[in-house]
Parts: sequence; structure tokens; C-alpha cells
Amino acid sequence: MTRTATFSAADGTFDKADSSGIGAGRPGFLWAAPATLFFALFAIVPLIMVAVLSFARWDGLSNPEFAGLDNWKLLFDDPVMIKSLWLSVLLTVLGVLVQTPLSILLGVWAAGHQRNRAVLSAIYFVPMLLSVAAVSVLWRAVLDPNFGVPAQATWLFGDGNLFGTQAGAIGVLVFVSTWQFTPLHTLIYQGAARAVPRVLYQAAQIDGAGTVRQFFHITLPQLRNSIITSMILMVVGGLTTFDTVLILTQGGPGSDTTISAYYMYQKAFKSFDYGSASAIALLLVLVSTLISLVVVRLSGYDKMRSTMEGL
Amino acid sequence: MKQRTRFSRTVVGGAALSLILSLSGCGEGSDAADGDTIHVLVYGDAANKVEKELVDTFNETSKVKAVLDTIPGADYQAKLQTIINSKQAPDVFFNWGGGSIEPFVDAGLLLPLDPFIAKDPGLKAKFLPSVFNSAVVDGTSYGIPMRGTQPVLLFNNGKVLKKAGVEPPETWDDLLAAVEALKADGVTPIALGGGDRWPTLMWFEYLYDRIAGPELFQKALDGDREVWASPDSRKALGKIKELVDAGAFGTNYDSVKFTDQGSPTLLATGKAAFELMGSWEYSTQQGAHPGFAESDLGYSPFPSVQGGKGDRANVVGNTNNFYSVLKKTKHPQAVAEFLKLMYSDQFVKAQLGIGNLPTTTNTEKFLDTAASPEFAKFQYDMVKAAPAFQLSWDQAYPQSAATPMYQALQQFFNGSMDEDAFIQAMQALPTS
Repeated sequence: MTRTATFSAADGTFDKADSSGIGAGRPGFLWAAPATLFFALFAIVPLIMVAVLSFARWDGLSNPEFAGLDNWKLLFDDPVMIKSLWLSVLLTVLGVLVQTPLSILLGVWAAGHQRNRAVLSAIYFVPMLLSVAAVSVLWRAVLDPNFGVPAQATWLFGDGNLFGTQAGAIGVLVFVSTWQFTPLHTLIYQGAARAVPRVLYQAAQIDGAGTVRQFFHITLPQLRNSIITSMILMVVGGLTTFDTVLILTQGGPGSDTTISAYYMYQKAFKSFDYGSASAIALLLVLVSTLISLVVVRLSGYDKMRSTMEGL
Repeated sequence: MKQRTRFSRTVVGGAALSLILSLSGCGEGSDAADGDTIHVLVYGDAANKVEKELVDTFNETSKVKAVLDTIPGADYQAKLQTIINSKQAPDVFFNWGGGSIEPFVDAGLLLPLDPFIAKDPGLKAKFLPSVFNSAVVDGTSYGIPMRGTQPVLLFNNGKVLKKAGVEPPETWDDLLAAVEALKADGVTPIALGGGDRWPTLMWFEYLYDRIAGPELFQKALDGDREVWASPDSRKALGKIKELVDAGAFGTNYDSVKFTDQGSPTLLATGKAAFELMGSWEYSTQQGAHPGFAESDLGYSPFPSVQGGKGDRANVVGNTNNFYSVLKKTKHPQAVAEFLKLMYSDQFVKAQLGIGNLPTTTNTEKFLDTAASPEFAKFQYDMVKAAPAFQLSWDQAYPQSAATPMYQALQQFFNGSMDEDAFIQAMQALPTS
């Protein structure tokens, strides 16, 4: 019983519904100590170590040597590094642009009461249940130029050289992550769309607004906070994408899909240059934080304005 | 000085932490009392069967017991690098010779094997010299060959060649003529798994060898960057362009992989006529297309190039895998005894039985017991007669060179990088 009480506190939920009567009272800071300790050990400490390593030369064998700003200087002189940052941003932006409208439409639709909705929704969610690695291997096989779909649909795919051109490879990466992650965002929008008060639609109907108008003037504004939540998830996920690139393109052709996270992996575990890899890692942390902050600021999310104003 | 110590202790402490985390997955057979054991670390795959057998044989007579640890293939190099300078380091470990052990030699971790050889000359004399030498670093031996040699051959689909009236090419001109004939017949002349990039590298390795001879690459590896801009180098690049532009590989080769059976299937199903590949192509086809492997899979050496300096008998590929020994092993005597097994009759027979071709001088006696005696004999004669055996470039160079090398190779091959840019990229590779 004590256990349940601790768990609900760790979740951050208030304990006033503690019907068991054990451990009654408000949660103190100590309750969060185990989680905080774990977070410090597995997130803060490594982050500090990475920061330290980014100023060192280390191949994983000998003792690390202090290298001053060498890694950082190299990083900004390295054309692949600069390209990789652009690619990360490009993939993220493309992901947001493709996934957001798609998942809003699907989510709003799935929140309704149409026939067969439950069955179809269940089918959408299948990709979310598969691991990214499995999904990537699957699509790699489906898109094989000689034995996959492109060989059958030459009118669409031409010679099927999807992984051999930059545009093709980026297209595949965006497509595969859309396929994988749209269900998650659909779920967010479905929940949010269900929470929109019915009275708003009833009032709009009396005023003679059609479905499209209702969507743009009621549903979308009411989804504002969910859109921001979902976009932040996409941005952070997009910037740290790694597994799809590792399995689908290995950063190729050439370095045309070498995004920063993959470049970091190459530096650390292919070239055994942990110093540069740490510098890339730190740069990624900074860029991700910055972008998240910008999204939050621009959207006014930090003010936590309620969508229930005026109701 | 003090600050430096503290700095490195923090980092090493952190590394140790991540090590404990990563090692928890692979600590097979770690006995409580490590006093009288030697740990042998190998690349985990089907060939482990033979390694287990040898360890058992060794343990029958030895007081110091050997323990076999395996790390699954794809993770091998990264995990080895992580543990090799730690308490969990093995006594003996598997590697590819050449550049793959150089960083360990530089860090002073490896035991020179010359004293072992002085006591038992068989440790050197019983192996083919061209193979033994690829684990010699700065004139000192650091590895004893184990497993089998993997020369690169030009494989073909006999049925497709027959239909197009083409013979396996002897010369470069033969190859170009074959490309034209096969294109007219509606097949892709050469299957290539460009998505993996190392199959593309094989074309560079052979053309540079045939045109410039093995010396050019050796000079480049020794630090002479100018050779990449030499007329021979440009000539080799021109030949590659010639072949690509002739449509020998089709247009979608960069989307094809060897590792997911893409290019072997092209060859087996007759959609392509040739594939330049390591000798493992044979067992790959035997596994996936046994009928084809038995009746129509042909093979020949890489063609000669007219006016080139390289001998047609030269071979490129993986010379062999090696066992290297760590300096801090507590039982060098036992290790020396263990290594002697690598030229034993039992070793040779067991390797041949799983389709590997050992590079010991007594291999010839047992070739009839191989999984495919004809293929084994062809390879053995080829490797034995080879004046030069070029270790794959990506393994001869240090690890840090592999990625930029792959990028340049792929981009020059598919035309997104020109000759001068390619030469610059090769000149920029770290050589040590």
C-alpha cells in the first residue's frame, strides 16, 4: 500500500485522494529524491562528462589529453558538420510540415463518431507499436529497387534509385518517420479534439457555420496547446533522429543524409574520436534547447493561456 | 600535472561506468577466480564453432584453461576498443591485422610475438608469407593468422554469360566488350551493392593494383599523399569512370546492398551477369540459392589491364583474421601454446569443414575435405601464387579514415564528385 502512495507522488499527482490513509499529508521534496538522484546520475553527470570531453583528445585507449578548443575549431571548419546541422534542421522542418496537418486531420476525424472509426483507428496505431529498427528494415526491403515496389511501379519510381540520390534518400527518411510517428501525434490530437466543448459547435451550427468553418474557427484554435506540444515533440525527436538513418541510408549517398546525431555516432564509434563526438553532442543539446525555447516563446505556450477563456 | 590527473580520472571513471553498463550484456563465462584462465575474445558468428572446438582441445592438456568470449559481429570493433584498456581486457583477441591493430600497438598494449616465434619458428614458417605479413607493424609481428583468407574474385552467372555469348574476361577490353554484349541482351552487366559502399571499394582496389601496381597504395599508406595525384592514379580513376559510364552497373546500384542479399540475388536470378565480391559470395549463394551455387556460379580472377604495372596474379581482399596478444597477459606461456594450435591439422580440417580457407602451409594436404574442394583449391592456388595480397583499403588505413574514404569512393563512383576532388579527399585521409 505504501508503494502505491509513493508512486502517485512520483507522478506528480496530488495525494488528496489517498483513500488508504497511509502516509497522508502533502508530498515533500524527499519523495522525489530517488528520481532526482537517478536523473542526476544518468543525465546530468554524463552531460558534464561530455562537456569536459569536448575539450579533450581521446581515442578510448590512452589517457585523454587536454586539447583546448581544437575540437570546436575543427567542428566549425568541417563542411560535413555544417551540412549535418542543416540536414538535421531540414529533416525536422519537413517532418513537422508533413506530419502536423496529417495528424490533425486524422486526430480530429478519429475523435468523431463515424462508423468503423474504432477499427480504422486501431489499424493506424499499428506502426507505433513496431520498433523504429523493425520499421526501417521493413521499408528498406519494400523500397528495394530490383525486388521491391519500385520494380513494379517504374512509372512512379523510375530506376528506383531512391537511396542513391540526396532527394530520394531524404524523401524516404521523411516518409518512414511520418509513417512511424503520425499515430502518436494523431493520438494527441484525438484526445484534444474530444475535449473541445460541444456547446461551441452547437452555437456555430445555430449561426449557420458549415463543417469546414467549424474546423478552422473552433477546432483548430482549441487545439492550439496540443499543436505546440506535438510540435515540440517532433522538433526534439527530429533533431535526435538516428536509428532510421543508421539502418536506411548510413548517412549516404556520400554524406548527403549525415545528420548531426549520426555524424556524432560516426565520430565516436567508427572513427574513435570521442572528443569531436562530444563537441557535436553538446552542440546538438544547445541547438535543440534553443529551438524548443523559440517554439515555446513564439507560440505563447509559456503563458499557459487556457483555451477555455470566455466560456 | 595534478590537474591533468584529476581530469583524466574523472573521464576514465565515467568511461568505466559506461563500460560496466555496456558489458553487462556480453560477459559470457566470466569465472569468479580468474587466476588460471586466459580469455580469448572473438567476433561472434557461425565460425565460433571451430574456435570452441580448439579451446576444448587446448583445455584437455593445459593447466591454464582458455575461456572463449564472443561479441556479436556488428558491435565487435566498438566494444573491443572500449574494453581493451580495462580490467575486462582479454588475453588474446580476434582482429583484421593492418590498421585495425595499429592504434593498440601505438598505445603500447600489444605483445610483440617475435620472442614466441624465436622459440617456435612454426608460428611464422607454417603460414603463407603474404598473409602473415599483414599483421606486421613497423617490422614487428603482432598477429598469428586464424580463420580463413578471403580473396576478392569476379563471380559470374554461367547461364547468363552463355546466353549472351560472353566468356569470363581476361583483360579490361574483354570486360568492356562483355558489358556491351550483356546490355544488348537486356541484363545488368555487373551487380553492385553500392549501398554498403565496401563493395564499391573493391573496384578501386583492383584497378589501382592492376594499373599502378601494389606499390602506389603502400606509399600512400606510408604517408606519401602525392601518389594520389600521380598519372597512374588518374588513369585508374579514368578506367572506373569508363566502366560506370558504359552502364556496367546500371543506374540504381547505390540503392542496392550486399548485406540484405540484394546484389547476390541479382546475380542468382540472372538479372545481372557478374559480381566482384569476396570469396564469401560462394557460401552466401550456397545458403540462399543452393541450386544456383551448385550449377551456374562461376568465378575468375580480376582481368588484367593493358599497359598496367600490376601483375594479374595479384590479389586483394581480406588476407585473414589474426589473434593478437595483450601485453599484460599473466600467462604468456599458455598463450604461446594456444597459438600453436592455429597451424595444427585439426584446425585446418575444422576450418575447411565450415567453408573457410586457412592460410597455413599444410592446408594443401586437406583441400579435398573442404565443403567445395574445387573452389577451395582455386582460391588456395590463387593466394599461394599471388606476388602481392592487398589488404582491403578500409582495413589497411586507420579506423578514422574509413568514413571519409567511403564517402569519397561513393561520390566519385556515382559522379557527384570529380577526379580532383576525389584525389583531394584521399590526400586528406589520416594515415596514422
